[in-house]
Amino acid sequence: MTKWGMVIDLEKCTGCQACTTACAMENSRLPGEAWQDVLFYHEGRYPNVKVSWLPRPCMHCENPSCVAVCPTKATYKTEDGVVLVDWDKCIGCKYCMIACPYGVRFYMDEKPVVQPDLREVFPGDGDRIWNPPYRMPDHLADRKKGIGIQPKGVVSKCTFCYHKISKAPKGVADLDEDDPATREYTPACVRVCPPKARYFGDLDNPNSKVSQLIADKRGVRLKEETGNKPQVYYLAGGAAPVVPGERSQERG
Amino acid sequence: MATVTSLRPQFKASPYLIGAGILFIVTFIYAVYLKVTLGYAAFNTTNYGVFWGFPIVVYDYFLLTSVGLALVAAVPLALGVRALDPIAKRCVWLAIAALVGGVAILFMELAHPLRALWATPLNLQTASPLFWKILCVGAYTIVLVLTALALARGARPGEVPRPLAILLGLLALAIAAIAGSVYGMLVFRPFWYGGELPVVFIIESVMGGLAFVIFFTYVAYGMAPDTVPQGTRELLAGPLGVALAVAVLLHLLFTLARTVTGLWSYGEGMQVWQYTVSQPLYWLGLIGGGVVPLVVFATPTLRTQPWLQIVGGFLVAVGLLASRYEFLINGQLVPPFKGSWAPSLLEYAPSQFEWVLFFMGVFLANTIYAGLESWSSTRQE
Ligand code: SF4
Ligand code: SF4
Ligand code: SF4
Repeated sequence: MTKWGMVIDLEKCTGCQACTTACAMENSRLPGEAWQDVLFYHEGRYPNVKVSWLPRPCMHCENPSCVAVCPTKATYKTEDGVVLVDWDKCIGCKYCMIACPYGVRFYMDEKPVVQPDLREVFPGDGDRIWNPPYRMPDHLADRKKGIGIQPKGVVSKCTFCYHKISKAPKGVADLDEDDPATREYTPACVRVCPPKARYFGDLDNPNSKVSQLIADKRGVRLKEETGNKPQVYYLAGGAAPVVPGERSQERG
Repeated sequence: MATVTSLRPQFKASPYLIGAGILFIVTFIYAVYLKVTLGYAAFNTTNYGVFWGFPIVVYDYFLLTSVGLALVAAVPLALGVRALDPIAKRCVWLAIAALVGGVAILFMELAHPLRALWATPLNLQTASPLFWKILCVGAYTIVLVLTALALARGARPGEVPRPLAILLGLLALAIAAIAGSVYGMLVFRPFWYGGELPVVFIIESVMGGLAFVIFFTYVAYGMAPDTVPQGTRELLAGPLGVALAVAVLLHLLFTLARTVTGLWSYGEGMQVWQYTVSQPLYWLGLIGGGVVPLVVFATPTLRTQPWLQIVGGFLVAVGLLASRYEFLINGQLVPPFKGSWAPSLLEYAPSQFEWVLFFMGVFLANTIYAGLESWSSTRQE
């Protein structure tokens, strides 16, 4: 069975946020609803300052705590290893947001993070929380999978572009924008990455590019101690990716 | 001793009931108005990390107080300790009032409360503490109402079916423990994580239950201690007062142990303890809601003073709310995994709407309690 996963090469990533923009456009996200974000970290004090960054989609954990805590099974894991939200079952309790160690879930019935509030500029029709002119085509939206513009009062997150990857030819090892046969099925953030720092494929297929990269370049996962087992791997030259906590600054 | 006539329900609207009812209606209308006019700005929660705000604090507070009262009621009803008969009915009335107040706030906060009613039992997510909490609260509500009906029909505490009373106690115990697990299971949130939390929540529930029943017994008698029957007064000054002192002591020990360990710990996320102890709210909970009432209820000459009991009970109730706030909100102040986009410590203060919800819940609970007191014959114990 396919187990979709992503590899992000931190030695190539320039922190340009093209992935973030592409994700927001592809999935019609509101400002502040960063399904994909590049997190920047500052360490030290002037003049000895170090800046590092980390692109962060949902980790689509193998053992997702968000799925375990969801009282209605609105959050669930598909057979091909993707964690999705059924907006018809979500009650908006936000326990999944509390229980996600990676902070990748969003509840957009909150104060706007930019002015004007785009929900007022483009008011939602029917069940949509807003209605931007550049929204995802209706036939791709699927509220049972958390794809498209959400209704009010539910939680949203990265879907691994499920509307694309679920239509990929069966048994394919990699979804690569450079391969015309798989380009259309490749997640938006992977497809636009200028230095090609992102790879997407089947983690269960030993011949896939993602499996090979993880093996050859010693891919690591974030916060292994939580037991969530992310399906997003980072390549950091063999070292663990640096995600400094506040305390590392305090004590440095 | 109650007579057959005095046990018959007789409704008499007291000024307390009318006042609480009017205040509830006013706050409810104002809450609806604010929600409609403020829209998305009604809540002060954000996507940076404070996902559960003041309404959830108050909901948990009311729910835990309700189960604490049910646990106190279970002592005479299920365990047959007849000495506590005089307060059994009041505990059940208060448990209903606190439950309704808390659930009303939750329903105003939750986006899809009605969906929760069917989606939770039908999907059987047994891995989620919240699933069990919702399920147990549903069952608890039914059992509590059945117990109340038995008492309202004139049954003396000893006549309430024992299996029903045992079930009430067990469900109350389960809810308090599961409510603790909701936070205690989260290993990557070290401020919350810990297997002791279910026990702490049970102790704090009982503490809230005892404080409420002591305080509201005087409320039921119009804050005129002289009119409280001698037997009930002795109960409050004796076993109940001592039990409250023990519960407060255990709560203080847990709080101090968590604080000192937290301050010594250097793990990521534990820096919130430094912030916590710098806040007046923490000291209000610790001193006002802990040390002072402990002195009152642990000192024989002080706990026999009705007015000190009233003040002590009130202080415990307020202190517990402060502790609940500090526990729930501060546990979210270190934003997980947000990089330099978020400050190292988030800020949160309840919005106007969130405050109005709190008062709405308080007045609703008081209305329900006053209504039940007026309707029943509790005063003739
Ligand atoms: S990263 Fe968070 S939201 Fe995504 S699967 Fe893991 S626990 Fe769930
Ligand atoms: S907010 Fe929705 S998806 Fe998240 S735990 Fe609650 S019901 Fe599940
Ligand atoms: S996989 Fe799709 S939904 Fe997920 S971060 Fe990338 S573009 Fe966004």
